[in-house]
Amino acid sequence: MTEPAPIVRIVDDDASFLTAVARMLGASGFVVKTFASAAEFLVRPELDVPGCVVVDLQMPGLSGLDLQEALATAGHMLPVIFLSGHGDIPTTVKVMRGGAEDFLTKRGPKEELIDAVKRALTRDASERAERARLVALRAPFATLTPRELEVLKHVVLGRLNKQIAYDLNVHERTVKLHRTAITTKLEVHSTAELTKLWMEVGDLEAIEEGKKI
Amino acid sequence: MAASACLTLAGMHLLIWLKQRRAWANLLFSATAASTGLFSACELWMMRSETTSQFGTVLRFAHVPGWVISVSLVIFVRFYMRAGRPWLAWLICGLRTLALLLNFLMGQSLIYREITRLRHIPFLGESVSVPEGIHNPWMLVGQLGLLLLVVYVADATLAVWRRGDRRQAVVLGGSIVFFIVTAALQSVFIFWGIVHAPITASLFFMGIVVAMAYELSRDAFHVVQLGRELQESEQRLALASDSANLGVWIRDLIRNEIWATDKWRTLFGFTKSEPLVLDKFLQRVHPDDREGVLQVLTSAPKGNGGYEKEYRVVLANEQTRWIASRGQVEFDGRGKAVRVSGVSMDITQRKLAELEAQQRRSELAHLSRVTTLGELSSSLAHELNQPLGAILRNTEAAELFLEDPSPDLDELRAILVDIRKDDQRAGAVIDGIRSMLKRRKVEHSVLDLNVLLSEVISLVRPDAELRKVQLVLKAASSLPPVRGDRVQLQQVLLNLLLNAMDAMNGFAPDHRRVTVRVQPSGARIEVAVSDTGQGIPTDQLTRLFEPFYTTKPNGMGLGLPISRSILETHGGSIRAENDPNGGATFYLTLPLANEESTS
Repeated sequence: MTEPAPIVRIVDDDASFLTAVARMLGASGFVVKTFASAAEFLVRPELDVPGCVVVDLQMPGLSGLDLQEALATAGHMLPVIFLSGHGDIPTTVKVMRGGAEDFLTKRGPKEELIDAVKRALTRDASERAERARLVALRAPFATLTPRELEVLKHVVLGRLNKQIAYDLNVHERTVKLHRTAITTKLEVHSTAELTKLWMEVGDLEAIEEGKKI
Repeated sequence: MAASACLTLAGMHLLIWLKQRRAWANLLFSATAASTGLFSACELWMMRSETTSQFGTVLRFAHVPGWVISVSLVIFVRFYMRAGRPWLAWLICGLRTLALLLNFLMGQSLIYREITRLRHIPFLGESVSVPEGIHNPWMLVGQLGLLLLVVYVADATLAVWRRGDRRQAVVLGGSIVFFIVTAALQSVFIFWGIVHAPITASLFFMGIVVAMAYELSRDAFHVVQLGRELQESEQRLALASDSANLGVWIRDLIRNEIWATDKWRTLFGFTKSEPLVLDKFLQRVHPDDREGVLQVLTSAPKGNGGYEKEYRVVLANEQTRWIASRGQVEFDGRGKAVRVSGVSMDITQRKLAELEAQQRRSELAHLSRVTTLGELSSSLAHELNQPLGAILRNTEAAELFLEDPSPDLDELRAILVDIRKDDQRAGAVIDGIRSMLKRRKVEHSVLDLNVLLSEVISLVRPDAELRKVQLVLKAASSLPPVRGDRVQLQQVLLNLLLNAMDAMNGFAPDHRRVTVRVQPSGARIEVAVSDTGQGIPTDQLTRLFEPFYTTKPNGMGLGLPISRSILETHGGSIRAENDPNGGATFYLTLPLANEESTS
């Protein structure tokens, strides 16, 4: 499966500045796409395409901060680089807390912006790879039956078969059969390996989420 | 003796008439008196006549002064007493003239066809001649004229009496009627031989002369008295005007002469005896004000004739003096401007104080503008950074393109076009700020409030966006212009808009709205700036415009007082009201450019 080329999304209400930034980043070798407002971007964010967002902090209607908040609420991790005419401390703190990749002044040197974009793209790529790996890890869990999942939860807590059988009110031999099914489906060879895998994919809710993606 | 008295009076009044050609009454009186004198001389001669032919000739010629007397009387009554029927007047003159002609054409005179003999009778201790002879029937023509004259004068007298001028009616009309009647009766009695006495009609005519003289001398006396009163009133006027520091002047438009009080001459630096004309006055007026003064002077007679003007004069020692003049044009009966009179006063002190106050106000307004712009600094920085940032990125992009061995020239051209556009945009922002920050003189020009408002709104819009305030301008479709200082009025509007936005701090963003409405209202234009904040507590509504009263933590309390002072110098006003559905509205009004007074 080949990842599409990363796209730098630029959002600014000022058409002239938008074009200029797009030209500069384009000439620097990035694939860019421009949006005249935060709303226009949020309508079709195309989040499965990797990249980052370069957004003006001060815009009429939805501001850069609103855009960041909207992305975060939706659970998307596209890195956001903020541009502002001038950076005051309270705003900087706020955007950085919100998970901004960077906060730059509009008239800073181009290297600053290019480096920030590069960093953002790298981070996005690694985050996507990590997410892909997790998705791959979680996939076998989907094959487990609800009962097998219930047994698994007890196993990773280090409980014995006898205890599990008592808790679930089933025969000990049934528990053993479930455990064998689990290790076969998840392709692990020991309880220790199973526990490690469990820790990596996170809890059940994360798995449920993973199924949806 | 009586004749010489009459002739003296005649001479005097003739002189009066010669000096004052419009005194027709005096000329008529002079003619009447002279004729009466001649008539009495003829009578004396007749009394002394030795032969019938001599008597006849004198009697014939005595009719000439008689004619003059009756015609003069007719005209005198008509013009002096302003009464009597014109047709009657013409008829009398006609009959008397006919009688005079008959007198010379028929028989020995109008009275006798032929005088047969002279009788000598004693009269006042002397022996005098009286005629006897055949009567001329044409005599009736003369007597009819005389009768009509009596009727004419009596009718005129009655009219004067009714008009309310009873004294004149009795003295003048009454005596003329009385004396003519008695004279006529006497001659009739004598001619018909009922009474034997010489004709002494001139004695009766002298009664008329005396009555006329009395009347005219009353006039003369009245004139003298008026003259004295006028002189006194002029003195009083001069005294009053001097003590009020007023220079009084009168300009005769026909002779192009200026008469002025000494005070006025001092004001304009003229000596007491120097003759004055308009050009000399205009030379003293400050060159910058000359045209304005001239324009007022030429346009004053076209309107109601009144005018007011403030201007500077430059005195010989280069000293400048501010003068306020108020004048009134006087017209003659045909509506032609004949004179302009008025007063001028020195208002230098007041003007200097006004200029100083204006300068203070302007400095304060400048200070307040600087503060206001300070509030906008972050949004203004944004406005500048936008084009500057674009320019930077474009040049960087161009540099990168040029690294290519065969760069895309079209793209490079597009970049240069954009760079120029952004440079102009940044320049416009700076110009806008500069014009607000510059210390400058107040300059009034004709302005369109729609344009002014959109300029101010574009200045505030970035700030409004930052503060999430919705700005709505409801402009009028067509607006008559106002006159004022662009920067100062922008300042007022800017101040109101910023206040309105401040009023909504802490409100939910979708509830923050500032609406600006502009519309003509009679002879004024009203601008209403409404916010959707919490309104103004009633006790603060009036205090808002007091200096140093503020409800803002960092406010100076000068914005609204300065706004009000600016509007008042523009002839406008400002007031604040709470809206029934929350929020407050500031209303400001400005007079239309063509409604302003031109003083």
